[in-house]
Amino acid sequence: MTEVEYDVDDDTIAVVEDTDLPRRLKNEVYEELETRPDATVEDADELAKAVETRYVDTRVDPLDPVGTVSAQSIGEPGTQLTMNTFHYAGVAEIDVTQGLPRLIELVDARKTPDTPMMTVHLEDEYATERERAHEVVWNIEATKILALGDVSTNVADMRVQISLNRDTLEERMITPEEVAEIIEDELGVSTVQQGTEIQFGPEEPSYRDLLQLVEELRDITFKGIEDISRVVIRREEMDDGSEEFVLYTEGSAFGDVLEIEGVDASRTTCNNIHEIHRNLGIEAAREAIIEETNNTLAEQGLDDVNVRHLMLVADIMTNNGEIESIGRHGISGSKDSVLARAAFEVTVNHLLNAAIHGEVDTLQGVTENVIVGKPIKLGTGDVDLRMGSIDSSSESQAD
Amino acid sequence: MVDVSQHELVPEHTVLEEETLEEVLTEYDIDRTDLPKIKRNDPALPDDAAVGNVIKIVRDSRTTDQAVVYRLVVE
Repeated sequence: MTEVEYDVDDDTIAVVEDTDLPRRLKNEVYEELETRPDATVEDADELAKAVETRYVDTRVDPLDPVGTVSAQSIGEPGTQLTMNTFHYAGVAEIDVTQGLPRLIELVDARKTPDTPMMTVHLEDEYATERERAHEVVWNIEATKILALGDVSTNVADMRVQISLNRDTLEERMITPEEVAEIIEDELGVSTVQQGTEIQFGPEEPSYRDLLQLVEELRDITFKGIEDISRVVIRREEMDDGSEEFVLYTEGSAFGDVLEIEGVDASRTTCNNIHEIHRNLGIEAAREAIIEETNNTLAEQGLDDVNVRHLMLVADIMTNNGEIESIGRHGISGSKDSVLARAAFEVTVNHLLNAAIHGEVDTLQGVTENVIVGKPIKLGTGDVDLRMGSIDSSSESQAD
Repeated sequence: MVDVSQHELVPEHTVLEEETLEEVLTEYDIDRTDLPKIKRNDPALPDDAAVGNVIKIVRDSRTTDQAVVYRLVVE
């Protein structure tokens, strides 16, 4: 017997639990009954039965084309999505692709989104103290040489001179020795380091090599993760009323960030469904697809699209254990029927290949049957009707 | 290494016993290969799962309390 935390008597619980309703609806029935203390068991039964009838009525009928209904239900509001690629995300001054381009990006299962970003949650004292939160920021945000000090070229001596800023170094927890070492490793030159001054130059005096070195120096990541160009730190109110620091990043490196100390690996997410799939598995990817498509629609005020349609899309995209796109290269391209594939795109190629390989079309799907002019096997099209009475003795021969 | 199963996006994965699997397959009237798949190298897979096993996944559902789904482990 399931636990019921509502203030109703045992008989009432018995009649409600007896129905075919899902837990959430049963609880709603209990809530309603709580507000009517004078309701008898008969009333409760009547209420529960009425809810059950309505629930059973609204369930999908057998042979209903749920995919087509989903396609229409997402497609229609899709016409009202913005075509603008860039927009403010609302939170933390980071540009994020929204509207139609984002939706297309998701269902096409692009390898990298147009604007990758992560939402990094922190744990314990990292989440509550600004100082500690900043430590995490410096471990994530890519630090380039220009953030650490000034770079100048001495053409007369053929030397590159760097004068580092002591305060910045301290703040970002990196020493001049480390900087010099990284430069030696990355550029393959020997450096002269004195305090916060670092000097180096090409082996042979050459103006071109000198400029080349400066170019390469600018690209070196001294600290943090190379793919993450910017981190915004925000103080946010959580659901339970407490406040904590949350980091938003431009660029994403989900796997690397999860390993960093202070990062809460149970709540941190990113907007790249492939990264989620790689690091958290297919089920998490499915969740992420639903979440991202739902948020994209909700952002544009179209959150009245039933989440079941988005769940169906996510289910299909993750059905074979990895993320498949919807479209020619994914789901539609892997249909069994030759005619259905040919009707979608690149008709001649499909027909030619099918002819070469001697493929057979069993005419099970919708498109094939429309092409050959037969009723489709959906809804009433898949039901055979026969009139007359059945004689029990001839029943076995009737078919 | 990060414990993937702790992440809020990852539902509970458990390996399904063969006997229970039979019940499930009869209930839905399907073959084991008709189930959705999960790759053998999936990070969320329990350590004792092998190719051919069926994984029981209990999701916190958006439309009902909890949803139970099954995935077949493939190469």
